[in-house]
Amino acid sequence: MSLLAQQLVLAVLLGGVYVAVAVGFSLVWGILNIINLSHGAFIVVGAYITWTLFGRFGIDPFLSLPLDALALFVIGYALQRGLINRVIRAPVFFTLLLTFGVNLAIVNLLLAVFTSDFRSVTPSYAGSGLTLGPVVVPYIRLAAFVIAFVVAGLLSLLLARTRVGAAIQAVASDRDAAQLVGIDLRHTYALTYGIGAACAGVAGGLLSTVQAISPTAGDPYTLQAFVIVVLGGLGSVTATVVGGLLFGFIEVFGQAAPGLGAGYANAIAFAVLVVVLVVRPQGLLGR
Amino acid sequence: MAEPFLSVRGLSAGYGETLVLRDVDLDVDAGELVALIGANGAGKSTLLATLSGLVPPVSGSVRLAGRELAHARPETIVAAGLAHVPQGRRLFGGLTVERNLLLGAYLRRDGEIRADVERVVGYFPALRDKLARDAATLSGGEQQMVAIARGLMARPKVLMVDEPSLGLAPNVVDRVIDVCAEINRAGTAVLLVEQDVLVALEVARRAYVLETGRITLSGDAAELRADDRVRKAYLGI
Ligand SMILES: Nc1ncnc2c1ncn2[C@@H]1O[C@H](COP(=O)(O)OP(=O)(O)OP(=O)(O)O)[C@@H](O)[C@H]1O
Ligand SMILES: [Mg+2]
Repeated sequence: MSLLAQQLVLAVLLGGVYVAVAVGFSLVWGILNIINLSHGAFIVVGAYITWTLFGRFGIDPFLSLPLDALALFVIGYALQRGLINRVIRAPVFFTLLLTFGVNLAIVNLLLAVFTSDFRSVTPSYAGSGLTLGPVVVPYIRLAAFVIAFVVAGLLSLLLARTRVGAAIQAVASDRDAAQLVGIDLRHTYALTYGIGAACAGVAGGLLSTVQAISPTAGDPYTLQAFVIVVLGGLGSVTATVVGGLLFGFIEVFGQAAPGLGAGYANAIAFAVLVVVLVVRPQGLLGR
Repeated sequence: MAEPFLSVRGLSAGYGETLVLRDVDLDVDAGELVALIGANGAGKSTLLATLSGLVPPVSGSVRLAGRELAHARPETIVAAGLAHVPQGRRLFGGLTVERNLLLGAYLRRDGEIRADVERVVGYFPALRDKLARDAATLSGGEQQMVAIARGLMARPKVLMVDEPSLGLAPNVVDRVIDVCAEINRAGTAVLLVEQDVLVALEVARRAYVLETGRITLSGDAAELRADDRVRKAYLGI
């Protein structure tokens, strides 16, 4: 019983991290129609920024998150404006190829700078947690969960309430009509991509506190983000939140499934994905 | 004589290799209501798209209040006072009617945007209780009203409206055309593309006839209505 409660708590907390992993990927896919294969690399860059600031200057990993966001926003904006914008109207294959290339470039740069060693960020409170009866809630995972939801909430507010958010959605809805009201397409595309990258940066900062990172650690995140977005459905932050939480449950309970064990969590996740695709191709909350 | 407010000279444009517009001359004076008529595929929408910067011109000039805009970006053109209500409404589906209207004022930084929502909805009272609805869920007539209202939110000096009556019930068509005239009486110049030639020539002061990318006739709307060529080709008389 207490084991189940503990598993439930871990599943929810892990789901929060997955929300952070997927939310920027979902934005870029939904608005720009780009399946961003460099998303995982952006996450890893965010993780290395947090790791560097922690290791070099002793900055608390959670305090470096805004810097992760800012740095990745700038990188994302520049990459989109200077490079990816050139193929935005090309078939999806070209954007896949291009973002794959960007991914390779970032990974190799990280390998050159940080080597292939695994790194982790372990603040003093890393091992401690909140004890609630039989259940332990690790502080770090709790904080990561809360921050993931803050990020998702802020993104949701940005889209629903601000002028920039309206422009981003207008561009997704009708490019020509968006131009006719005076929206600068190139800027808005780059902003969207930059915001997606900023979300990835925050996710990376969070992940560095719960997992070991290396330059090549990014690809599974891209894959997870993809599965989460397909599970939840494209087109809203809420759908990504649902997809992320569901994915957390699948991971935790997949590992705990009797007779299976750790190696099968991904297999189970993909099995669920296939079922969802068959039953609801637009995803659980997709339009 | 002073230069007309919107002055198009020798404008040619097209898509890729194919030229759709050839050497178009067209003027709209401040406060005028001008109709642009022509058969399907004549290039009317392409002309509006070229004026608003969506289609790059091959040659020619577009001047608004003395300023050359032929190769300007769409946002520059909107900011200069030329707004375009596109054929087929082209609302932002998934966003509310109110946000569609606010997006019409995207480039404005003044404090009167909220008040302007009220003002433009004043033209279409039917929209008043639908501001919170997803624009995509409105009827065709209501969507056309939103499209025109969104164009007005830019506070244009010239409003270009492309086939506002397309696919609408006759009473709705009347309302939409009346509003174009009202907007014009309130001081905004209107360039109206309209498939219903009789209606267009009734409401407009002057008109241009576009045939396969060239202006073949132009002049006083009442005179064009009496012109044999127009009667034969567009009025079926
Ligand atoms: N995006 C485009 N790409 C290529 N060709 C186009 C495009 N849009 C229009 N055309 C072509 O340009 C020509 C003029 O089309 P346009 O839409 O400007 O005509 P129109 O006078 O507005 O017609 P309608 O009354 O049907 O709206 C047509 O031959 C059309 O096929
Ligand atoms: Mg047309």
